[in-house]
Amino acid sequence: MSDDRTQQDSTSSDGTSRGLNRRHFLAAAGTGATAAVAGCTGLGGGGGSDTIKIGGVYLLSGIAQALGTSSANAAEVAVKQINENGGINGKDIEIEVRDHGEDPQAQIRSLAQEFNADVMIGLTSSGVTLASAPTIESLGVPFTLTDIGTPYITEPDTESYGNYFESDSGRAAFTPNMFRTNSNTSHMTYAIAKYVADNYGESRVANMGPDYAYGQQCWDYFKAYSEGLGMNHEYVTSEFPSLGASDMTPQINSVLSADPDLLFTSFWAGDATTFISQAAEQGLFEEVDDVFDTIGADPTVYEALGDTTPEGIHMSGWYWPTAYDNENNQAFLDAYREEFQDDDTTPSIPGFTGGSTYAAIYMYKKAIEAAGGTNPEDVISELEGITIDNDPRGQTTIKEDTHQATAPCVIGETSFDADVPYDGAGLVNTQTYTLTRERSLELLDGSGLGPGL
Amino acid sequence: MSYGVRERLLAPDNRMRVVGVAAVAIVLVAAPFVLGGFQTSLLARTLVFALFATAFNLLYGYTGLLSFGHAMFVAASGYTVAKIVQQVAPALGIESIFGGAALMVVWILALVIGTAMAALLAVFIGYLSVQLEEIYFAMITLSFSMAIWVIVNQDIIGSALAALGIGGGTFTNGSDGLTFRLGEVDLFGLEFRLVDIADPIAFYLLTLLVVAIGMYALYRVINSPFGTTCQAIRENPERARALGIDTQFHSWMTFIISGAFSGLAGAMLVMLKTGILPSDAFWTSSATPVVMTVIGGPYAFLGPAVGAFTYEYLRWIIRQYPLLEEFWEFSFGFLLLIVVLFFDNGVYGGIQRLREYVSDRQE
Repeated sequence: MSDDRTQQDSTSSDGTSRGLNRRHFLAAAGTGATAAVAGCTGLGGGGGSDTIKIGGVYLLSGIAQALGTSSANAAEVAVKQINENGGINGKDIEIEVRDHGEDPQAQIRSLAQEFNADVMIGLTSSGVTLASAPTIESLGVPFTLTDIGTPYITEPDTESYGNYFESDSGRAAFTPNMFRTNSNTSHMTYAIAKYVADNYGESRVANMGPDYAYGQQCWDYFKAYSEGLGMNHEYVTSEFPSLGASDMTPQINSVLSADPDLLFTSFWAGDATTFISQAAEQGLFEEVDDVFDTIGADPTVYEALGDTTPEGIHMSGWYWPTAYDNENNQAFLDAYREEFQDDDTTPSIPGFTGGSTYAAIYMYKKAIEAAGGTNPEDVISELEGITIDNDPRGQTTIKEDTHQATAPCVIGETSFDADVPYDGAGLVNTQTYTLTRERSLELLDGSGLGPGL
Repeated sequence: MSYGVRERLLAPDNRMRVVGVAAVAIVLVAAPFVLGGFQTSLLARTLVFALFATAFNLLYGYTGLLSFGHAMFVAASGYTVAKIVQQVAPALGIESIFGGAALMVVWILALVIGTAMAALLAVFIGYLSVQLEEIYFAMITLSFSMAIWVIVNQDIIGSALAALGIGGGTFTNGSDGLTFRLGEVDLFGLEFRLVDIADPIAFYLLTLLVVAIGMYALYRVINSPFGTTCQAIRENPERARALGIDTQFHSWMTFIISGAFSGLAGAMLVMLKTGILPSDAFWTSSATPVVMTVIGGPYAFLGPAVGAFTYEYLRWIIRQYPLLEEFWEFSFGFLLLIVVLFFDNGVYGGIQRLREYVSDRQE
């Protein structure tokens, strides 16, 4: 062996062909360079100051597909309207909406750094929102949440509730460049607790919700608000079927055997459909006085359920098309209908995330016009305390210290008399609820939960 | 060590390899100064996955044991890292001792302890797993990793601690996982943000360093008598046993080494993402290194790394086109099918055959 090597060495030092030749070098270097080339193709683009770019990230596949899609639709309707009326500062809006995919943070970064979004909207999952907050913060681009429940993300009081990013039990995750236009879990659970207190008084209450942070949070907040409202409900059982469960009958059975007066639920999208159809099959709706749901009131849910939806239960949402009597809402509904009336796959009325998403686009328009450009710091300081004039839910204001909109949530009664463009139920006798931080602090006192308002 | 280094480096077989490594090194070091923020962090992520897949392949390609639960090492190390950054480091008062360099100290501490935790997990789970072979080995590793997913997703540790009267019932924070912020570093007057998403050069270079060390260590393991024994076990466990090799013990040791390096990759990944979610322990996450290795080629040292690059950049290309993105699993599955059917050793084998073909044509 060693002889062999010496021999080869000497030949190469003679300058003959053995050893390192050009071809081998190229082959080796080529392999290594492939990576760099693959990387470089991503460069370029950028600049592009002739349009205002909005990037959106929603769940467009899987369990919440209908939900994310209806947010994207509402945003596109607003963009189209604004572009038809002269754009923002004379510039057209360009919007790109992408799916969360398996790596939502990569999508957010890609939209901010490759698409060069000036402002962003999005997210369909509270878990993803909390996990992405540090990424969004360091990107610095204004980011408005339109579909997010968790109160933590708009709770700045780290002293009282603990910093979410510095402990496993922190509940304050306020992030300086993140805003929210939808009413959050704190609003929703307050509205239901208040409705129960006003209409039923102290009752035997059971809970069902999806088995992840959202379901747990809704139940905790509902109990805390009920206590704040002076209701000493008897909590008979609490069941959490897994998210996206195909069979909820065991949990429905155990609720039935606990014999509650009222059932509180926090199902949404596909889970709401599963729950309602299986609970109807087992006769749950005849056994209890009323059933409540936090964010299940969506046209896609009722359309999927067809004639299975029980009448007279109470479901809430961040928006319901017929709950507001103002011209902005009418303009939104008209534009939405015009856009989607020929589309077989989408109901021609907005979903429960529609109002907040539509409002977010108009909010950005006002802020960018006031800031005179898209400089992130200027836009953020305009957004703090901004009043959204074109909000279909009536004027709302982004609170300066929490970045949460003073948005109403809506509770309605399910009925087949509702004015809807599909075969199925809708909401009637709708009522809207708002809540201030002061009132919320009073009600939640002692529970350790932050208002997030 | 130093005996004949020069001769060995200049030997014709090695010379090409040395030039190749040097070229790759130059490209990788120069890359962040040319690429934008997004591409730099994508490259950092890809490098981490290259290490992860190579560590996985020590067990799969070299020892013939298909683990379908390697995400558990990312989880063990990742949750440890998150805990250290969030809670342990502030409790130890590292900030007051080390001042501006505190974050670097925390980083090293998290990396070392995270890796150690993954290794520790591998000691226990490996001992039980190597009792089985082939599909049974894949199944048992899958079961263990899913058990760990349930533990972190249901926050069983938190509930157990609460039952003992410690803490408020949260430890892994259930489905929300653990998220942290990494702040500024002031190292001898050199100020930078450790994980700066907008401009991640500092973290990229650290990643490159860690991955380079990790890859070199794995390379040495594979090219040692230990690595040769691994291959003997892969080729024929009965014959290896007949030669006096304690195959079970050897597989166990390989499992631990593979787990530790997967943990190292996991620690870097969690730092890059500034957080960990239970889904990082789910079986789909365990499938990632498997797919990368199969795409890249399990029977070459650099196969899994080539696979990681192919995987991540193909994924990136798919993401650019909404239509492909909508069916990205399909696009990927199709690619995998082609690789499995037509390449005998993944993309790496394909590259080699292309090279041979080209040189045959020219000679």
